[in-house]
Amino acid sequence: MRPPRDAVAWAGLVVIVGSAVLAVLAPALAPTDPVRNDLLARLTPPAWMDGGSWTHPLGTDTLGRDVVSRLLYGARVSLVVGFSAVVLAGALGVVLGLVAGYYGGRLDDALMRLGDVQLAFPALVLAVAVLAVVGSGLGNVVLVLGVTGWVTYARIARGETLSLRHREFVEGARALGARDAGILWRHVLPNVLPSITVIATFSVARTIIAEASLSFLGLGIPPPAPSWGAMLDEGRNYLTTGWWLALFPGLAILVVVLGINVVGDWLRDTLDPRVERGM
Amino acid sequence: MTALHRPVLWLALAILGLPLAAGAAPPTSVDGVPIDPEAELVVALTDDTTNLDPRIGMGSIRSNYIRQIFESLVDVDRQGRPVPGLALSWKPVNDLTWEFVLRRGVTFHDGEPFNADTVLFNLDRMFRKNLDKWGIKDVAAGTAFDKVYPFVTRWEKVDDYTVRVHTSEPSATLWDFLGREPLVPRAWTIKHGVEALNDKPVGTGPWKLVAWKRKDHMAFERNDGYWGGPTLAKRLRLQVIPEAAARIAALRAGQVHLVEAVPPLDAEVLGKTSTIRVASSVQKLACRIYLNGRTKDAYESGGKDGAFADPRVRMALNLAVNREAIIAKIFHGLALANASPVATVAYGYAAQPPYPYDPARAKALLAEAGVSAAQPLTLQLLLPAKHYGQAFDETVGAVVEMLKAVGVQVTVQTLDFGTLLQTLTKGTLPPNGGFAACRTSNNLDADDFVRDWATTTLVNWTPYPPELLALYQSTRRQVDAKKRLAALAELQQRVRDWAPVVSLYQEKKAYAHSARVLQFVPTQELNMDFRGVALRR
Amino acid sequence: MRAFLLRRLVHAVFVVWGVVTVVFFLVRLTGDPAALLVDATATREEVERARQALGLDRPLLVQYAEFLRAAPLGDFGVSLRERRPAMGMVLEHFWPATAQLALAALVLAVVLPIPLGVIAATHRNGALDHASRLGSLFLQSMPSFWLGLMLILLFAVALGGLLPAFGSGTLSHLILPALTLAAAPLAQNVRLIRAGMLEVLQEDYVRTARAKGLAERGVVYRHALRNAAGPFLTVSGLSLGFMLSGTIVIETVFSWPGMGRLIVQAVPGRDFPVIQAAVFLFAILFVAVNLVVDVLQGLLDPRARVFGDGA
Repeated sequence: MRPPRDAVAWAGLVVIVGSAVLAVLAPALAPTDPVRNDLLARLTPPAWMDGGSWTHPLGTDTLGRDVVSRLLYGARVSLVVGFSAVVLAGALGVVLGLVAGYYGGRLDDALMRLGDVQLAFPALVLAVAVLAVVGSGLGNVVLVLGVTGWVTYARIARGETLSLRHREFVEGARALGARDAGILWRHVLPNVLPSITVIATFSVARTIIAEASLSFLGLGIPPPAPSWGAMLDEGRNYLTTGWWLALFPGLAILVVVLGINVVGDWLRDTLDPRVERGM
Repeated sequence: MTALHRPVLWLALAILGLPLAAGAAPPTSVDGVPIDPEAELVVALTDDTTNLDPRIGMGSIRSNYIRQIFESLVDVDRQGRPVPGLALSWKPVNDLTWEFVLRRGVTFHDGEPFNADTVLFNLDRMFRKNLDKWGIKDVAAGTAFDKVYPFVTRWEKVDDYTVRVHTSEPSATLWDFLGREPLVPRAWTIKHGVEALNDKPVGTGPWKLVAWKRKDHMAFERNDGYWGGPTLAKRLRLQVIPEAAARIAALRAGQVHLVEAVPPLDAEVLGKTSTIRVASSVQKLACRIYLNGRTKDAYESGGKDGAFADPRVRMALNLAVNREAIIAKIFHGLALANASPVATVAYGYAAQPPYPYDPARAKALLAEAGVSAAQPLTLQLLLPAKHYGQAFDETVGAVVEMLKAVGVQVTVQTLDFGTLLQTLTKGTLPPNGGFAACRTSNNLDADDFVRDWATTTLVNWTPYPPELLALYQSTRRQVDAKKRLAALAELQQRVRDWAPVVSLYQEKKAYAHSARVLQFVPTQELNMDFRGVALRR
Repeated sequence: MRAFLLRRLVHAVFVVWGVVTVVFFLVRLTGDPAALLVDATATREEVERARQALGLDRPLLVQYAEFLRAAPLGDFGVSLRERRPAMGMVLEHFWPATAQLALAALVLAVVLPIPLGVIAATHRNGALDHASRLGSLFLQSMPSFWLGLMLILLFAVALGGLLPAFGSGTLSHLILPALTLAAAPLAQNVRLIRAGMLEVLQEDYVRTARAKGLAERGVVYRHALRNAAGPFLTVSGLSLGFMLSGTIVIETVFSWPGMGRLIVQAVPGRDFPVIQAAVFLFAILFVAVNLVVDVLQGLLDPRARVFGDGA
């Protein structure tokens, strides 16, 4: 894997690493407690505007909470949700796909049918309905986004497994008495990983946006915990009077997701040009 | 004016004069300002109604649509006082009988006359009697009168314009709960069936329904034969725009003339715009945090009493809330603090000393009630987010922090309104549970508010102790107005001290309209009244 | 080909049945709509009465059997909120509102990328190419509703009502919501066209054709576009599915009176018949579009072996 030659890809890497660092260091970096109300300081504009001050560099929200602090802590939520949900979906999908491709037959049929049914669901309806049952919360959102995202990984893993199933080294390993799980782990999985990594990278970007959409519909992380999606949702009622509430979380999402997409582009170019371009 | 214009002016006056000479035509000017009598008034609302049949439900959204078409016996003036509507007068003829004298010369939009038979038919529908005699179906009603007012026994007509209603016990508020129900036509409903009421109904109201595009808009036309005189605008359009920002954008762009439910901060900003006027009125909506004070056999408790049964604890929570800061900062003055359980604009309201903001006293009261570091007070608060508007959600957020500041360990669980209702119906609120909700009223009388804690309903989690229950029931039976008001005042004072809920605020609703809209006065009711509203030329 | 179609149709029916069944049980798990339909001050008995009136107190499997019996005939029951036939309501909201929106967005997302992608490919690594790449990445990296809100802020407020902020009816009402909905798929397709074109432009036969002096334009369009068409079709099909579900959020932002807004209200309102009818319609459309895309792909590129061996 060559390091990126493209300045844009480097920028993407910097963004991703940077936001992770900021998220981890949030308690140390945040000017104030992101959850503490201060009704008197409600809706102060960013520091460079009339009425702003440098104690709240990017202003405060509707309950007087500091925007910078909420952005930093919100980064934790977005990144945790993004990565965890994708890891969950990826693990689930790869396992199911490997199994489906290796054993074939009725199991394969059933899993692929299940996948088709799931893909035919309008995405948000499924999330909305499930979250209404289990209640909203960080864990549940990760669970829902993770469990509903397995299909693409399963398909790719299955495809790869199908083509490898009858290759010589696999047949050889079986003849030598190696167990199925061992074969899958040692021989099939490494071939699957490059495509999966590319898909996963783009998935993280999409999941961060999906979490924002769920919060926009009122189903994301409950208050008063900060999350970029929830901040956007709060801010949309104050577009003209408190534009900084919707702008900065939106920009944060844009920058982070952009960085991830750019890195994903580079990963795809290096790891697996066969994967559908432009995904 | 040049010589050229003069003849045109005379000609115009002559043409205008013709319809004026023809009869009761709508006026063309108001206080000397010329208006457009052919105008279409476009109003932006937050949501569409799901039904037009008043029996099915009369919430704040539905009332706006239903009361343009239908009317009730008792009408309301701009100050919230009861005035004659379809009934000219109402009075108790003895302890167990009320008499309504009806207005004459009123017809429904299709020409059917309104008279005592109409009222009897509607009473039958409200109390679900004689339905098979009329050949109409029952509907799943929002308020089942036969269950809520079982003491109303029978009704009859004395003549074509007089109706008497008999009760088995004295009822002080019968004029209110019967008089505010919108009335549907008798012959039309029997002929077309009750489902047709939700489609294209006819009523006696100032506006006739012309078109209904679901979730988009409802269009009305002036009822020329309206008993109160024709409306000043010819057409009315209630346009659905759920997003507040979109409503205000539409107003600024001139696409609508009037918007309801303007968020407080936007109201302040719009008030500074020269082409826009902001009006507000106190509403009956009271927002509270309800606490679990039921005994263990009254709900799915797992054997535990509600943690908030002690009035000292509830009073402490009330003292912990800084209402002034909330009203100033979140509502920009568009709300008020009211320690009485009855809304300030209801008939029978008696002002109570407000709950002071006193966190020190709150902590002392909690300690007195046995709360300590070893035995902390926890509250699982259910919040129906986005159901009552942004300001409500923000208020609850602020109040949660205030409660934490006096040592209550609060966890917030956001859920959608339907799930909350379900929890309440099933009785599965946890012992240390509470929920934030608002309560409004379709009626004029204070009784609608104080009965909340008298019977087992979804919102009653702190039932009246026996002495308060007795006091409440006496107010229901006291037909003498003065004595009743005194009893109600005493009840409100005692309920204030008993503190069944944490009162948050009472709503003041803000409306914004273009400067072209004249004579718009917001009401204290759930609906807007467009009878006297005109559009300047 | 016929065997293929038959197999796919059976598969499609199965998928639709699966979706509808999952929704049926899932929404009933979300709880009881009866409480929502009565006064908040109602008693338990009144709520119970309302449940009975709606037929919700019957055993789950009985309700399901009833549903399976009626649904294929188009009867999805009566909306719990509006007391009107559910499928009728859904169709009313779908046509013309949502259909207009989705089709307009589809046209934008399918037609605009062609010239844009070609330009990007033929000016490879030039300023235009970089601009298109950045723009594309930007559009795919923002939440669609945020884009919608920013567009409203720009066109309807800041520019003084250049375009309407709400509602439907005229072409100018359609522009902002359609643009917002089409943004991400459009960006994606531009990249796809560009990538497909680039691949082909490197190919030997193109080089040969160029060497032979054949007109550049003909070379570029005929061979390259044909090559890009395959994945482009797949993505367009998926785009339509994505757009149909994207209408859920976009219609809320723009107050567009379509199916998306209907679902947004029906799910928390627990209006089971409407939710079922709407999801059914979505599923049918999605499956039909995929089927059409597969057939077109097979026709376009026999190498893709879409129809199976020996089609």
